[in-house]
Amino acid sequence: MQTDIKLEVRNISKSFPGVKALDHISFKVRRGTTHVLCGENGAGKSTLMKIINGIYKPDEGEILLDGQPVKIDNPIHARSLGISMIFQELSFVPEMTVAENIFLGRWPMDRFRRVDKAEMFRQTQALMEREGLHYSPYEQLKNLSVSDIQMLEIIKAVSNNPRIIIMDEPTSAITDKEIEKLFDMIRMLKERGACVIYISHKMDEIFRIADDITVLRDGTMVDSRPASELDVDETIALMVGRRMENKYPWEDVPKGDVLLDVKHFSSAGVFNDINFHIRAGEIVGFAGLMGAGRTEVVRALFGLDPSDGGEVFIKGRKKQRLTVQGNIADGLVMLSEDRRRYGLVPIRSVLENVSLANLKKFIYKGRLHRREERDAVAEQCRRMNVKTSSLETTVEALSGGNQQKVVLAKWMEVDPDVLLMDEPTRGIDVGAKFEIYKLMIALARKGKALLMVSSELPELLGMCDRIYVLCQGRITGELSREQFSAEQIMHYAIGTDKA
Amino acid sequence: MKRAVKKVLSLALILALSLTLCSVAFAKEYRVAYIARAQADSFAAWLANGVKEEAGKYPDITVDVFDGQANDETENSLIENAITNKYDCIIIQPNNGEAQRPYAEKVVAAGIICITTNARIDGIKGASTVDAQPYEQAAVNARMALKVVPQGATAVILRGPAGNFHADERLKAWKAEFFDKRPDVKIVGDDYANWNKDEAMALMEDWVTKVDKPIGLIASMNDNMCAGALEVIKGNPDYKGVLSFGVDGTAEACLLIEEGRMTATCLQNAYELSELLLSTAHKLLTGAETQIDTDVGNPLYTIDNVAELREIHVKAGALK
Amino acid sequence: MQLGQGRANLWETLKSKYAIFLVLVVLFIICSLLNSNFLTWRNLTNISRQISVTTILAFGETILIISGLLDLSSGAVMAFSGTLSVMCYKAMGDTYVSMIVAILVAIAIAVFCNALNALMVTTFRAPAFIVTLAMQAMARGAALFLTAGQNVYQIGNYTVLGQGSIWIIPIPILFMIFFFLITRYILSDTRLGRSLYAIGGNEAAANASGIAVNKVKTMAYLVNGVMVGMAAVLFMSRVNAGLPNGAIGYETEALTTAIIGGTSFTGGIGTAGGTIVGAFIIGFLNNIMNLTSVNSYIQQIIKGAIIALAVMYDIYAKNQRTRKKMGNIEDKAKK
Repeated sequence: MQTDIKLEVRNISKSFPGVKALDHISFKVRRGTTHVLCGENGAGKSTLMKIINGIYKPDEGEILLDGQPVKIDNPIHARSLGISMIFQELSFVPEMTVAENIFLGRWPMDRFRRVDKAEMFRQTQALMEREGLHYSPYEQLKNLSVSDIQMLEIIKAVSNNPRIIIMDEPTSAITDKEIEKLFDMIRMLKERGACVIYISHKMDEIFRIADDITVLRDGTMVDSRPASELDVDETIALMVGRRMENKYPWEDVPKGDVLLDVKHFSSAGVFNDINFHIRAGEIVGFAGLMGAGRTEVVRALFGLDPSDGGEVFIKGRKKQRLTVQGNIADGLVMLSEDRRRYGLVPIRSVLENVSLANLKKFIYKGRLHRREERDAVAEQCRRMNVKTSSLETTVEALSGGNQQKVVLAKWMEVDPDVLLMDEPTRGIDVGAKFEIYKLMIALARKGKALLMVSSELPELLGMCDRIYVLCQGRITGELSREQFSAEQIMHYAIGTDKA
Repeated sequence: MKRAVKKVLSLALILALSLTLCSVAFAKEYRVAYIARAQADSFAAWLANGVKEEAGKYPDITVDVFDGQANDETENSLIENAITNKYDCIIIQPNNGEAQRPYAEKVVAAGIICITTNARIDGIKGASTVDAQPYEQAAVNARMALKVVPQGATAVILRGPAGNFHADERLKAWKAEFFDKRPDVKIVGDDYANWNKDEAMALMEDWVTKVDKPIGLIASMNDNMCAGALEVIKGNPDYKGVLSFGVDGTAEACLLIEEGRMTATCLQNAYELSELLLSTAHKLLTGAETQIDTDVGNPLYTIDNVAELREIHVKAGALK
Repeated sequence: MQLGQGRANLWETLKSKYAIFLVLVVLFIICSLLNSNFLTWRNLTNISRQISVTTILAFGETILIISGLLDLSSGAVMAFSGTLSVMCYKAMGDTYVSMIVAILVAIAIAVFCNALNALMVTTFRAPAFIVTLAMQAMARGAALFLTAGQNVYQIGNYTVLGQGSIWIIPIPILFMIFFFLITRYILSDTRLGRSLYAIGGNEAAANASGIAVNKVKTMAYLVNGVMVGMAAVLFMSRVNAGLPNGAIGYETEALTTAIIGGTSFTGGIGTAGGTIVGAFIIGFLNNIMNLTSVNSYIQQIIKGAIIALAVMYDIYAKNQRTRKKMGNIEDKAKK
């Protein structure tokens, strides 16, 4: 029986600053099987896999390979142990050819220590023919489609002839036909006695290929069972879990006019026919899985990315063009999910960051009224409870929560009517999260319209008056607060129409 | 839409700029390539202009001027291109004689008439030379200085770019013909001003601050730097008696000598040189002669004969 | 206890914020001790006059570098606009009116060249490095073409601006001070200044905060153009000629000045005060090396070493700052 277990993970824990990503996770992978890991965004699946692949070191716990404890130092070491990983993010060099990418870092050498190009292209050609791929080894990677590249990634991993192969959402970017090919490949790998660890939240796929299923939630292992003992509903229930809902300061604020109305909003290949509205005093949520198009919709609305169809009404007035400046002037602002990139100028002071979006308020006859600016910023920071030693402190020196408050303070200076908040509490500790929730309610009470994009379902359920669910660039469901159910949202998000 | 207009507009602007800077050449019977050391060097540019002007007087000669950009690599490839283009005559003004020597030899080997000038490259069989002698240009200055510089005077030297043939030859002449013979003269400043007026000014300003008694002699390797040094001491009563020497005989030096502020300059007469170049080229092209070595003079101009220098510049339109 | 801490903090800010100023003071003292001629009114005005032209250029570069741009064309554009200005003055005769026209011509040409730079950088999203390098070649070529490579002489009273004095202060120094005040004002007291810092610090965030990035970048180039134009007039006037070959390498000098003055090459950081301090550091160094007759090859080595040191110090100080700040967070977390 003992030899039947290829890989065992025992009591693995891992913390990042401020977050416990994994909390005593244990599971076993049987030889020659497909083991599916599922869970919500941020449940810890990817972190766990990166530990098995040697990218992260666990804080505690151990990994057993063929019953022997091993310490995996890095991905190269993992490869030598027969562990191969296919990443969610593609790890290729776009300017290099297909062959060079396949052999990235392990190019065949001739006796003069030069890269043996002929050999490399020959081997690649053989590999491509064996796997039935149609493009040339001489093609530059940047000329291939995303799905071609994903398939290449898969083939590259398989070409190492691994004993354990980890696939992190491999089907997110490939076509149905290629999915079939992938499943054939998995079957073949199993016949060779290899193990596949498969990460996905697409239920139909999971039940087609899974031998065993392990469900993670919030960094803990909820259950690990043979697939035959589970069904879709039960799996979703395990993923979502039962949660307390009273840690959110939500209250029923009287609703007013529609402040933001979006009709048939589209951007080719990104999202399609998005319809939603937000009333004054309302907090509306966007739920969905990674890559569902939530962030893309918000960015396009704010004018950061192009859009190519639909109508947008702010406070009843139709927008002719969506530009950042026009939106800010009309009272629509956005908190980006990537606040260091789009929200802050990290090397400049709190003062400059807060007054950045509305400097003209302090300009008289071309001159910046610094005294008035300072007073206003100080007042705003006090109201936001930004913890900083002085207004001159650079923003990069602040904690994540305080940085987010600085971004919020910046937008409060503009006094907006509509706030699009993309992951407003990401990477923030619990206390600061609660402060931000309270602020959102305060804003709603003042008659603002708020849109909250979040990957944390409990947060949406706790804070929103209404939730739209997105899947593959479309709105697949809308729920009012009375209808809120995590299971229902998950169904919409996965795209299984069980209404 | 607006964007497209902007793009077209700026493209058109660039096109217009480059077109105006281009001129169309017409082919005549004899094609001469003149490969200049550097069009950004004011004497070399003066000479190139002179050559172009002079060529207008010969109905059967057309001259194309190329810019070596003070770079051996560039100059050598220009020579190679000229050979490939089958010019009838190639005139080379070397950036660095030894670097261009093998390429001048290639010109001869290709059966093309080769003239080296300012400075000549000696000893190439079959090639002709037309030149002024850089050593002699400074030497005439130094010999005059020998007579007029008082005992125990202090001196400053303004050098041209390090490694430049003309700069080196002129400095050599000053050392041999003056400083070696006058150990009583103390050098209080000696630095590279790279032919530049502004660099010479900055150096002179610091030197004037540094010295206890006024500087008595400015030995400059060209007029431009000399003018820079004189600019610094303009109107300074301590410097009434300063003696200053330059080379080139530029219009500015002419004016300074007339005003009594500069002592002397040796004319490197670009007009004379270009006349001689063209006549030599013509003789060689028409087969009147097969090999010529000739020099222009090195006339020294002081307050006594500066009127002659003025005449040259007036004739050329540089002065009124 | 409290007081002691306060004093330590004061020293810290002094050290981190005004480190470059301390370097200048130390250098000044060393120079005064090395050569008795250094600390004379005449020598100090000499130095100031010598640095004035490159410092004015450096103010333009400071504004550009802060917003993540730069200008490699300033020396060549100076030659182009300066010779045109001189020619214009000569053609119009020795009058006040022609002086004013000549100045306006220089500024107009320099602003035009910089408008082209801005257009390429904003509309075509071309890197500033290559755009201004192209402009350098074009402007230098235009200057040489215009004059057939010959200097323009006999420029009469054009020299007043570069060589004259008001009371005992040379006019170029007054212009340097004027542009220092302008730069300071722009950087700290205007919306443009704040936008420059924001764009240089994080262009994406500046854009997402509603700043008209392209407009601000264009403004930066236009302001730079005005400074280059005025520097051109002062330069030509100082050398008493229109030099189409003049000011070669001035852009590098100006960039160096800005960087030594603490302007961060990665953008977002820099002040007018720092730049003028940087200018004096270079000015003192050049001057003392000439006064003490240091071999000019050695001078180049020393100058190069100083630039390398300044940049290394900049990076070191930045790392130090972030490290310290992270320490603070941990301290706070412990509390």
